[in-house]
Amino acid sequence: MPLQALKNKQEELEAKLEPAVKKLLDQWKDLQDKYGKDIFEYTVRDKVIKQDLITTSLSGTKIKKVVLPRYKDWGDILQWMLQENVPGEFPYTSGVFELKRQGEDPTRMFAGEGGPERTNKRFHYVSNEQPAKRLSTAFDSVTLYGEDPGHRPDIYGKIGNSGVSIATVDDAKKLYSGFDLCDPKTSVSMTINGPAPMLLAFFMNAAIDQQCEKWIKENGKESLLQEAFEKKYARLPKPSYYNPASPERLPEGNSGLGLAMLGLSGDEVLPQDVYAQIKAHALSQVRGTVQADILKEDQAQNTCIFSTEFALKLMGDVQEYFIEQKVRNFYSVSISGYHIAEAGANPITQLALTLANGFTYVEYYLHRGMHIDDFAPNLSFFFSNGMDPEYSVIGRVARRIWSKAMKYKYNGNDRSQKLKYHIQTSGRSLHAQEIDFNDIRTTLQALYAIYDNCNSLHTNAYDEAITTPTEESVRRAMAIQLIINREFGAAKTENFMQGSFAMEELTDLVEEAVLTEFDRINERGGVLGAMERMYQRNKIQEESLHYEMQKHTGEYPIVGVNTFLNKKGSPTVIPTEVIRSTREEREQQIQNLQAFWKRNEAQSAQALQTLREVAINNGNLFTQLMETVKYCSLGQITHALYEVGGQYRRNM
Amino acid sequence: MSKIRIVTAASLFDGHDAAINIMRRIMQSKGAEIIHLGHNRSVHEIVECAIEEDAHGIAITSYQGGHVEFFKYMKDLLNENGCGHIKIFGGGGGTILPQEIDELHHYGIHKIYSPDDGRKLGLEGMIQEVIDACAPGENKEGAKNNFWQAPKNWESKLPLQEVKDIRKIARAITLCELGMEVPENFIADESTGAVVLGFTGTGGAGKSSVTDEFVRRYLNNFTDKTVAVISVDPSKKKTGGALLGDRIRMNAISHTRAYMRSMATRDDNTALSGYVQEAIDICKKAGYDLVILESAGVGQSDASILDYCDLSMYVMTPEYGAASQLEKINMLDYADVICINKFDKAGALDAYNDVCKQYKRNHQLFAAKNEDVPVVGTIASQFNDAGITKLFTKLLQVIQEKTGKTFGEISASTDGEATTKSLVIPAKRVRYLSEITDAIRGYNKWANDQSDIATKLYQLNGTIEMMEKEK
Repeated sequence: MPLQALKNKQEELEAKLEPAVKKLLDQWKDLQDKYGKDIFEYTVRDKVIKQDLITTSLSGTKIKKVVLPRYKDWGDILQWMLQENVPGEFPYTSGVFELKRQGEDPTRMFAGEGGPERTNKRFHYVSNEQPAKRLSTAFDSVTLYGEDPGHRPDIYGKIGNSGVSIATVDDAKKLYSGFDLCDPKTSVSMTINGPAPMLLAFFMNAAIDQQCEKWIKENGKESLLQEAFEKKYARLPKPSYYNPASPERLPEGNSGLGLAMLGLSGDEVLPQDVYAQIKAHALSQVRGTVQADILKEDQAQNTCIFSTEFALKLMGDVQEYFIEQKVRNFYSVSISGYHIAEAGANPITQLALTLANGFTYVEYYLHRGMHIDDFAPNLSFFFSNGMDPEYSVIGRVARRIWSKAMKYKYNGNDRSQKLKYHIQTSGRSLHAQEIDFNDIRTTLQALYAIYDNCNSLHTNAYDEAITTPTEESVRRAMAIQLIINREFGAAKTENFMQGSFAMEELTDLVEEAVLTEFDRINERGGVLGAMERMYQRNKIQEESLHYEMQKHTGEYPIVGVNTFLNKKGSPTVIPTEVIRSTREEREQQIQNLQAFWKRNEAQSAQALQTLREVAINNGNLFTQLMETVKYCSLGQITHALYEVGGQYRRNM
Repeated sequence: MSKIRIVTAASLFDGHDAAINIMRRIMQSKGAEIIHLGHNRSVHEIVECAIEEDAHGIAITSYQGGHVEFFKYMKDLLNENGCGHIKIFGGGGGTILPQEIDELHHYGIHKIYSPDDGRKLGLEGMIQEVIDACAPGENKEGAKNNFWQAPKNWESKLPLQEVKDIRKIARAITLCELGMEVPENFIADESTGAVVLGFTGTGGAGKSSVTDEFVRRYLNNFTDKTVAVISVDPSKKKTGGALLGDRIRMNAISHTRAYMRSMATRDDNTALSGYVQEAIDICKKAGYDLVILESAGVGQSDASILDYCDLSMYVMTPEYGAASQLEKINMLDYADVICINKFDKAGALDAYNDVCKQYKRNHQLFAAKNEDVPVVGTIASQFNDAGITKLFTKLLQVIQEKTGKTFGEISASTDGEATTKSLVIPAKRVRYLSEITDAIRGYNKWANDQSDIATKLYQLNGTIEMMEKEK
């Protein structure tokens, strides 16, 4: 073939290559240069950030944080850039940020037991000496169902068990006291769904009032505070922080920030313009996540309290408020697969149902008139990490699907395209036999997660299968992450698994499996249509049964459970003692609640009436809740909303 | 022989319902009649249900802690209300400690199952034990069975602040179901000549949700009136067991002025139990102002409910197939009101027109307008649905026309058109997932195609370079 013919062919083919693709190929050389250096420069929100691109091992080897492929063929390079790419570049398969945040491990410190004081102490214990305070809150089941603590025995027994009891804004102030909620290094996650808007309003008010407290101190306006107290508490006892287990002092690390304003809202103390300014600033600063994922509640977890439609309206109201008030650093929802997986779903189903739920929120918010780029960055995800092979790519597939859909279906910008997720090692994969082995499982799952560039990680304690974790077991669980992050050499490279043939294959397989599941849900009328037929619920149940059967027959081997038993047959470990809330703590919660009712008696009925009216007139309920929570307890609000929004109707 | 009736539920503030669902299925397969309440149920709700249903046992799972207080309170509440004969069973995996199990057994909880029991007995064995312990035996003079002796404890105050003695009403229905005589004056005659309203319709049309929304409005509107609901579900021919699942959807029924009884069809191969008439008569005699009879899901030809009620409603959905199917539905001849539920489904307005047309044909009302025909579209799953409110008003109107009875003023009424759904996802967007898969698969194909071109270009480029060098 003559040379000219080849050149003609070349020209012809070049014309078929799209300009965007040509541009990508042209950038390859630059990319190689950029990642060939020792220092990496990039910009985040107009700030230039410089970070080391290498670490040096004991042997003196320079270990790169990001390693590029050695491909030569343009097709291979292009395919890699279109489906993999470096962390921080579309389609974000290997991560949504260029490099991991420095000075902040993705560890979340989890606590929740007894009253707010006990949990506050635990928070300070677990986050002590951590530069970043990343707190994760578990609420007791009374709170999870939106009720108030009380003496009725079926409620009483559950106060402060398996989570912290929070019934009022003052409880929230105590819970997070000593943590500056507006510090960029503080991040709070709240595991709450049905009553999430109320708890979120507690939290936001606590954060605002902390800033009011700081302002009062900085400006020497203590007299204002005193006046306000005298006005409101003439004959009433003031609320106080009191931990019956260690009454003498605040826990180590707690500066007391947030406690000066117990029992008062900033707007009862400060001039309105000052309060408004502080409030606006605080809202723009707070950082964290509230779970608030009502779809998965109906599909798997069952802590729904309102009718699904009303619950969705509440979620939309929160998001709208976030947009209006420029709450940029707080996730309004954590779209969760964890509970779907814990209820028995396999990893593909977990991922498919969760992403489908995510897209359902997107459609609902768009339908309400919000702009994709105004809310998509406020969405976050939460997955479970088990032992199955698919878990090694769960983050990769999630990011890839989300970004492609955001870019090509919803025309979302870069920020909207980035799926950020928290991941927790699987509680279901922990067993009550040979519980020492559980840490081994958790370690492997944590390694999956860290290799997969998760944004946030929780490692379970080995004794969680049998009891509430102790300080000792929690410390070990945290050590798992720290050892991987600080000691484990392979984890120094942030795209360590990229380029593995197996990973690439698995990523493609799981992506296609998820899309196929989307098609199935679509045939059933989308997520909501499928829920009406209980499609998701039944699917989860079937998969749970499949696992149980295989575990029972031994086809699915579990060491120390159905194979490799010890001489005694690896019996179930029964805890000798379980951490339970004390009578004193429960009584304290009830008394505090009653005192709260008493001192807000004059305002609460009107506040609830206003809230109901806002609901009837289809106003923004979260805007109103920010006011309601100043005078009303969780249970009061829940019951008022039942009247205007309807209770959840169970199904089977 | 007595059928074993067991109430199943998960504890208050506890969403873990997987285990109890497995248990109740096994109980059903062993021939028990299960009144399933689902998750997050308070002691009061469970006890009220067990009494109204005249259950032999209550089986609860509790995984969220507080079990000692929960079970003890249940036992206390049963005892206080003269129903200590109802046996309590429980389980909570490893969350209930061995010493707590001992404490609860000592307190009178019949049995709390530990994981070890599960391993020893197996699921089947555990359930068999529960069923055996519940068996009430025959009602013989002098028999020491607590179930049959229970009425001796019922002469004191009314149970659970209810306005009527729900214990006796429940037991009288049980006796009828067993073909036994109800002692004279067992229930005081307080009859007010109750209206009997029959709800029937296809399976899965949402009858219990419609009933619940109707009852809620009734109790809210008429604050001195009472209602009894008799709900029938089919027994399984093979096992004799039954899932009496209507209560799980009923949020309004746990009320001092409301009574509900779930009945299995037992031997009868119909949509209604052979003892429905007796149950209605008992409720009438007890003085309920309104009795609602809800049938099991019925086929096109079934109109048996008419034998029992003063007026009837047929509940259907827009998904009945072609319009000609409507010609076969007997209830469209007889029902006083027709409810098209799930009115948010596609084709709802067509269904409304078709059903109105069929109704007019059946009743020779060819000139009537749709508005004048008693057909109402509803979305019972939607809170405060305008359609349901319209249906409520319509039913009360028909009651008055047919029986001359009224219950009082209606405070909430809507004259609005058929209901419309405040859609979460608009109908034209409902295929969003399919659009997403198309977009992603399209991208993937495009990426492959472009890479193939790039590879060819790379090869050409190399060849050209080589040839140019050789020149």
